[in-house]
Amino acid sequence: MKISTRGRYGLRAMLDLAGHSGTEPLSLAEIARMEHLSYGYLEGLFAALKKAGLVTGSAGVRGGYRLTRPPEQITARMVLEALEKDLSITEEEPCPERPVSTFLDREVWGPVNAAVLRILETATLQDLIKSEKSGSCHHGQ
Amino acid sequence: MKLSAKSRYALEAMVYLAACAPQQNVCIRQVATGTGITESYLEQIFFRLRKAGLLTAIRGAGGGFYPGRPPEEISAGDIVRAMEDEISPVGCVHDPSSCKNQRAECCQTRGLWVELTEEIYRQLDSQTLASLKERFLAAQEQETEAKQ
Repeated sequence: MKISTRGRYGLRAMLDLAGHSGTEPLSLAEIARMEHLSYGYLEGLFAALKKAGLVTGSAGVRGGYRLTRPPEQITARMVLEALEKDLSITEEEPCPERPVSTFLDREVWGPVNAAVLRILETATLQDLIKSEKSGSCHHGQ
Repeated sequence: MKLSAKSRYALEAMVYLAACAPQQNVCIRQVATGTGITESYLEQIFFRLRKAGLLTAIRGAGGGFYPGRPPEEISAGDIVRAMEDEISPVGCVHDPSSCKNQRAECCQTRGLWVELTEEIYRQLDSQTLASLKERFLAAQEQETEAKQ
């Protein structure tokens, strides 16, 4: 099971927005610099985040993006669902009438997928920022 | 974010085998018929399961496939691990140096990926083949009764 680079970098970019304390929106150029990503790639991510209603953009010299709501009201699940096709760890079953397969979907894969979603929806951007601050991170290295 | 289809099929084949054994000597064709997985795909899966010691083959007349150790000692996690190189959603969980930005130590998201990986393992490791087999057989029985 993999979370694509879109989901990984998108979540980090959202945390950059969440941690941005300035009064002005954060520009994609600034995020590109912080995350070592290309401007064009970020444009694609932010189009999806905007469509999901998680960020709002403003144009102009001092334009950029901000979150549409406080970081404690945006969960990792919301961000990843905006960027990933599907968050379940198993593929859609092509022939659902196989008895063992149906049983395992109900007893194994279903509960695993539910547990994954539970973790993602309880982790808010605010929680993720906090968890980093309690770690041994030294900015500017 | 997906496990490979191999993991899914391997667990399916092992539950099927466990449900048949020890009363039956099951050959690969029977597993294919019983599960709907093709024989050639099962061969690839069985090769990996045998390498991991999760499956034993007894050759000759009356031979067949069996779980490699008692079903109480095989977990869904063991089977998935035999199929996947790694099941973490992001490479940095196993190998922090794989991070392009080289900032695993101060990454705000790595903790979340580690938590997800641990939860998936925890869930899969808590399911033994013995328990899955019992529950599967019980579910089958219930279904048969319901049809009668």
